[in-house]
Amino acid sequence: MERSSVAFDQNFSGAADFPALLRRKGLLASAVIPPIPQAGAPQKTWQPTEATTILAFKFSGGVLVAGDRRATAGNTVVYDRADKVLEIDRHSIMAIAGVPATAWEMARVLEHSFQYFRRTQLQEMSVDGKVRALSKLLRDNFGFVMQGVGVVVPIFATYDSHPKPETRLYFYDAMGAQFEAADYAATGSGSPAVRGILYYENNWGRKPLHKLSEDEAVSVALRALDTAAESDTSTGGVDRGGKIYPIIKIVSREGIATLPESKIAAVFKETVA
Amino acid sequence: MIEEPYRWVEAIANRREYIEAQLAPGSPIAAVGYRDGILFLTVGQTRQKLFEIYDRIAMGAIGHPGDIERLRMAAIELASTEGFTRSAADVSLRRLVHYSLSPVMKSAFEQVYGAPYLARMLFAEVGESPNEDLFLRVEYDGEIATNGATYAQARQDFAVLSGTRQSRELMEAFLKSQHAPDASFELALNSALNAWSIGHISLKASDANGQPDQAAVLKHRQEQLATSGIEAAVLERDASRAIRYRSLSDTELRSLINE
Repeated sequence: MERSSVAFDQNFSGAADFPALLRRKGLLASAVIPPIPQAGAPQKTWQPTEATTILAFKFSGGVLVAGDRRATAGNTVVYDRADKVLEIDRHSIMAIAGVPATAWEMARVLEHSFQYFRRTQLQEMSVDGKVRALSKLLRDNFGFVMQGVGVVVPIFATYDSHPKPETRLYFYDAMGAQFEAADYAATGSGSPAVRGILYYENNWGRKPLHKLSEDEAVSVALRALDTAAESDTSTGGVDRGGKIYPIIKIVSREGIATLPESKIAAVFKETVA
Repeated sequence: MIEEPYRWVEAIANRREYIEAQLAPGSPIAAVGYRDGILFLTVGQTRQKLFEIYDRIAMGAIGHPGDIERLRMAAIELASTEGFTRSAADVSLRRLVHYSLSPVMKSAFEQVYGAPYLARMLFAEVGESPNEDLFLRVEYDGEIATNGATYAQARQDFAVLSGTRQSRELMEAFLKSQHAPDASFELALNSALNAWSIGHISLKASDANGQPDQAAVLKHRQEQLATSGIEAAVLERDASRAIRYRSLSDTELRSLINE
């Protein structure tokens, strides 16, 4: 018998775990991890497909998170206005490198998980709880990664008001390990170049990253993405002809601010182009 | 007992009487629509009575805490899975109450060997303009009362909940004459607080069956506020935000009350 999604569930759990609720209702597929191949058997190697560049660093006004706009499948550019910097709640951003279908679904699950926790438990989920929730989603997705589909490598940026008011920045690996970044994080196929630039700027630039003003931070982000795009065909960088600029968002105590394209264009024109 | 229709009717009547007696001391809750949203208000006894259900839906309830909790969780689960699988715009209070909550409450009430839900609930969903606001009251037997333009009833931009029918009707009569849907927040707050006081007076003195005079309402209000806190929440009309629910603290409201 098919159950409608609005059927009343008499056996509700009272638990606060939204993914578990989705699984109980059959709304979230869980991947089966394929058996480990025997020695000598032909191995299907797993090809990372996280083709994009995402970066985030702490500056004087919070955490800046930037992502290019290109979505690719192999050699083909599928879309040049993709949004990979996603708002999860009023103070949290998840920026994604990886397979968009999985990543956007993950962002949706995460967004609903935080709201569901607050509504059922009558308190906000802690930052550690949120960071862990994303880690668990990645872990649960690893079966798909092993099958060669659905790899996601995100960055998570948030503002923590308790116990000490500060911005927090995390990056993950595809299995769900979480690493807290002190200054900056980058992920995606263009990230080696970006990591080099951010390391250089942080140590020998005119100012360390955490002292940069907003305009200076935007300038560093644009230069880094443009450098990544120079050698990585999967990174869009800044499309000068089409006037397509990266998405840049800032997380601070006040919440999340999305920089308007006009502002990014102005900084680009003055300091990058 | 079930085989004999008369005994069944009698059992249902007894059960109704029992539940009404259990709900009777429940402190009133007023929900009033105003220009910028919907305000839920009650004057605090001990436990929380106002809850967020989904982006645009809030709930107030009286009854047994265990039953309220089961119904609240069920409502949140239904709204969240619907919002996740389709979209937040597809989550509708009308569907939630008519298709899910009401049938379940009715069958629990009528199965005389099982336990009924000891709860009376008030839901509201904020719309883009005051005349799109939806208010629904759901009784322990699954009965639904709505604010909206049904048959002979004029649209009302408020809804109330109380322990007794008399108390509820007095509150409704008061809001019908005193409350306008385009009121400011401050006016709405004071109307809601007066409506609560009228309902509460009626619960305390069940023999008095008319509208108390204004001085008596003010006096009662002052006495109650001296010892209890205001519990309030709003569903904001501001469309720039997805999540409209915000609970208000007692301290931020005290300064807006007309003494």
